[in-house]
Amino acid sequence: MTNETPDDLQYTDSHEWIDDRGDARRIGITDFAQDELGDVVFVELPEEGESLESGTACAVVESIKAVSDIYTPVSGTVTATNDDVLDRPELLNTDPYGEGWLFEIDGQVPDDALDADDYREQTE
Amino acid sequence: MNYRQATWERETDSGESVNEPLLSEKRTETVTHDDVDLPDELVREELTLPEPAEPEVASHYTRLSQMTYSVEHGPYPLGSCTMKYNPKFIEDVAALDEGSIHPDRADEDAQGTLAILHGLQEYLAEIGGMETATLQPPAGAAGEFTGLLVARAYHRSNDEDDERREVIVPASAHGTNFASAAMAGYDVVELPSDEDGRVPVDALEAAVGDSTAALMLTNPNTLGLFERDISEIADVVHDAGGLLYYDGANLNALLGRARPGDMGFDIMHYNVHKTFASPHGGGGPGAGPIGVVDELTDFLPDPHVRETDDGSFEFYEPAESVGKVHGFHGNWLVLLKTYAYISRLGDGGLKDTSAMAVLNANYLASQIDLDVPYGPFHHEFVASAGDVDAAEFAKGMLDEGVHPPTTKWPEIVDEALMTEPTEALSKDQLDVLAEAFTATGQKTPEELSEAPTTTAAGRIDQTSAARNPRLSWHDVEADDE
Amino acid sequence: MTTMQRIQHDRTDGSHEPNESSPFAPQTPQEVEAMLSAIDADSVEELFDVPEAVAFDGDFDVEAKSEYEVRSEIEDLLGRNADRTEFLGRGHYDHYVPSVVDYLSLRSEFLTSYTQYQPETSQGFLQALFEFQSMIVELTGLDVANCSMYDAATALGEAALLAARVRDTSGSRVLVPETIRSERRSVLENYADGAELTVETYPLDAGNTDLDALSDLIDEDVVMVYAQSPTARGAIEERLSDVASLADDHEAAFCLGSDPVALALLKEPAAVGADIVIGDASVLGLSASHGMGLGLFAVKEGYLRQVPGRLVGTSETADGRRAYTLTLQTREQHIRKERATSNICTNQAWVALRTAIHIASLGASGLASLAEECVTMASEAAARLEDVDGVAAPVDDRHHFREFVARTEVPATEVVDELADRGFLVHEVGEFEIQVCVTETNSADLDDLVAAVREVLV
Repeated sequence: MTNETPDDLQYTDSHEWIDDRGDARRIGITDFAQDELGDVVFVELPEEGESLESGTACAVVESIKAVSDIYTPVSGTVTATNDDVLDRPELLNTDPYGEGWLFEIDGQVPDDALDADDYREQTE
Repeated sequence: MNYRQATWERETDSGESVNEPLLSEKRTETVTHDDVDLPDELVREELTLPEPAEPEVASHYTRLSQMTYSVEHGPYPLGSCTMKYNPKFIEDVAALDEGSIHPDRADEDAQGTLAILHGLQEYLAEIGGMETATLQPPAGAAGEFTGLLVARAYHRSNDEDDERREVIVPASAHGTNFASAAMAGYDVVELPSDEDGRVPVDALEAAVGDSTAALMLTNPNTLGLFERDISEIADVVHDAGGLLYYDGANLNALLGRARPGDMGFDIMHYNVHKTFASPHGGGGPGAGPIGVVDELTDFLPDPHVRETDDGSFEFYEPAESVGKVHGFHGNWLVLLKTYAYISRLGDGGLKDTSAMAVLNANYLASQIDLDVPYGPFHHEFVASAGDVDAAEFAKGMLDEGVHPPTTKWPEIVDEALMTEPTEALSKDQLDVLAEAFTATGQKTPEELSEAPTTTAAGRIDQTSAARNPRLSWHDVEADDE
Repeated sequence: MTTMQRIQHDRTDGSHEPNESSPFAPQTPQEVEAMLSAIDADSVEELFDVPEAVAFDGDFDVEAKSEYEVRSEIEDLLGRNADRTEFLGRGHYDHYVPSVVDYLSLRSEFLTSYTQYQPETSQGFLQALFEFQSMIVELTGLDVANCSMYDAATALGEAALLAARVRDTSGSRVLVPETIRSERRSVLENYADGAELTVETYPLDAGNTDLDALSDLIDEDVVMVYAQSPTARGAIEERLSDVASLADDHEAAFCLGSDPVALALLKEPAAVGADIVIGDASVLGLSASHGMGLGLFAVKEGYLRQVPGRLVGTSETADGRRAYTLTLQTREQHIRKERATSNICTNQAWVALRTAIHIASLGASGLASLAEECVTMASEAAARLEDVDGVAAPVDDRHHFREFVARTEVPATEVVDELADRGFLVHEVGEFEIQVCVTETNSADLDDLVAAVREVLV
């Protein structure tokens, strides 16, 4: 089974996606990542207004048997969080690029972000 | 094997299908305290609890017991857990009224208990090659924590605590090692295994230094392999000023064959509920005594037991004691059972225990079809379920009337099935267990995904349990509404 | 045959021959030979891959004994424990454990099973632990109880670590009552040390919390305030709500120490503002057992993800039946390693089972009566001692539960020694203070104790 990797997003080695939405960058975990984790049962998000350095662990995604830190690929201030995933963590499994997004941050996409082809190559 | 676990499936009043109703779904009572001589504001308004009659209590728990697989049902080869037979007589010994005294008794009123504690200190010291052992830690992990408190006290006494902030732990170590080190305030440095599955001495040399407080190691390691370079490993750690800690989870492999003290370890814990047959009780109680070398005895927890000139026994506080790790004297009943077990076996029985544990593991491994990538192993081996998910394989084994091995760990083996038969399985039971592996290996992925079908409950939805935690009968009631 | 000579097992209880084999390893010499041949080995010894330099070829000097001999030896040794009537408490209590607890808990299914990592084949034990958690939830009024810590002292240590983790801002102080047992405080300090927390005491006033003093001591750096009811001196604490408010005002967690019998009577912790309850639940289910315990640990819902130890929850099977399973395991050491909420693995599950059976067999009414008797007996015993010339009881002008402190005109050391000579054990807790604990297991001897006290104080 192949995982979805939308062409219009950018990616990181640690399986986060970045959606440049103009005034902020939206962050989530990839289809590959959710598939590896299995059923997500719990999510912890950063606080709105929190300021983060890229590469710092700022969110946690848990399945039954594993815990994953989410590293923000973008530096800046958190401008929004997706509180729906706190009550419905399954959204990360069912719609990782849509309703399962995690947070938005106002910094710029880093130069070393991967494009969809590079990320696909990495996860094959 | 044709196997079936008991169940008494029925519907509760709310229409839910259950194997046995909760006590709270049978009869409850709400009571108030009307006559007690206390001001109202100190007293709870009411108390609601089950109110079964004794025959109902007996029936409820007998049914629950029959929905619980145990060592006495058959093979229970959980790797790293040493699920051996628990002799009956040790329970009778633990039930003696004279042994059930209050922990605050003065020494002169507790001479019998003190004599046994002292005797066990000596037994354990001898078996581990240590100077003495404290019996206070109530479990293996508590022993690890205590051992690290001792290590920290030692470094403090040398004014080195500020710089020695790291504990080195092999990647394949028990999870408790990491957690205990963190609780004792240390940073954990993880050491990957080499390709043979052992600790790589060159990587260890690179990892140790002025910041090293201790290396925690289990030997044989979690793959069942003896760390052949142990003397060199000990030198590397000691030369750097660190201490060597032995995780005793796998001691059942080495009784009378090798002693941690002789290998260069400074501190060790014993899992008496593994090696010395005190029953696991569905998760505990155990006991995790720690042995130490001469140089560390002053740091042991308070109190320790010693013999006086007149042959009596007394509690005393070691000179630089780390203080206490249990509110009283640890899990006394477990310690008493341990004393009884060691006394029964003696030297010959202890040595035979390891011999038969190692023979059983080797024989079992030879009788199963799965790949066992690392050896020579001792009391346990790690087989690979290959293309099959090890957790699924385990569910399939449940239907063969045996308990499956520990799964998916250590991670160095793909789809690991960590298997420890112990000395207590007869050849016949080993053959039954081998047959269970074979039968499970022949199941299709679809059959495995539907397993188990012979246990009181079929496959349980773990995801729903975690997404919507219902942790008491109050939550179950709320859910029904 | 092999270099290791196995003999047939000694199958008799009385007479015995020196054991060269374990009576609990069933292999016959013929089977050993067959197994060796199956693995192409000549001897068992060659299976040990132990370098010469560290091999052990000595003896432990432990002589094997028959079952009868071991039992006799231990009976003789334990017989050296003096035959005394204990009026001892101070955090460890002896209540009568009904026979049904032994007979059911000693069933080998319960006694010899492991942690329920394969829930489908462990439903019975899981349900028993779930019911234990439920009983603690009812008794504390809190939302979540785990299925055990080692004892009250280690549970308190875990509570302090939890309190430090859940705070938004860091803090470094834990406040405990000055009457806390020094042993319990020492355990707490060891847990606190690794997290760089310090433990400080606050004073009591006539047996209850000195609120003014506590208020002076508390600040934003305090992560947890601990109080006990009953206290280590047996007094029921009357100012818990005030302690809770003080803690709350400073964003500190409020941890209450108690036990299941006291909780059956006293205002439930949730109603007085407790965030965490710890205690020794083995007051039900275990005899004195030289201090062996069962750590009770309950918290409010907001702390759920930070709870140490195992939790049992319900779920469903594919065919829609209710089932039980260990849950939220990502908190634990086998998954989260150094970031786990605790290092605990082996716990006190079997003791929790015993406590649950004991509570079930008492029922709500039996447990409530037992708790009420603990108030009545303490107050009667204090009144009886107060009648003795040279004794004032209770010292603290409070309501008491099971135990109380009495002042004696004669130095307490002498009183305690002379009572021991007469067969009675009480605590020495001050220069002229003794502490006396009464439960249904020693109340029949109260008359004799009072008579002995009278003799000692003549």
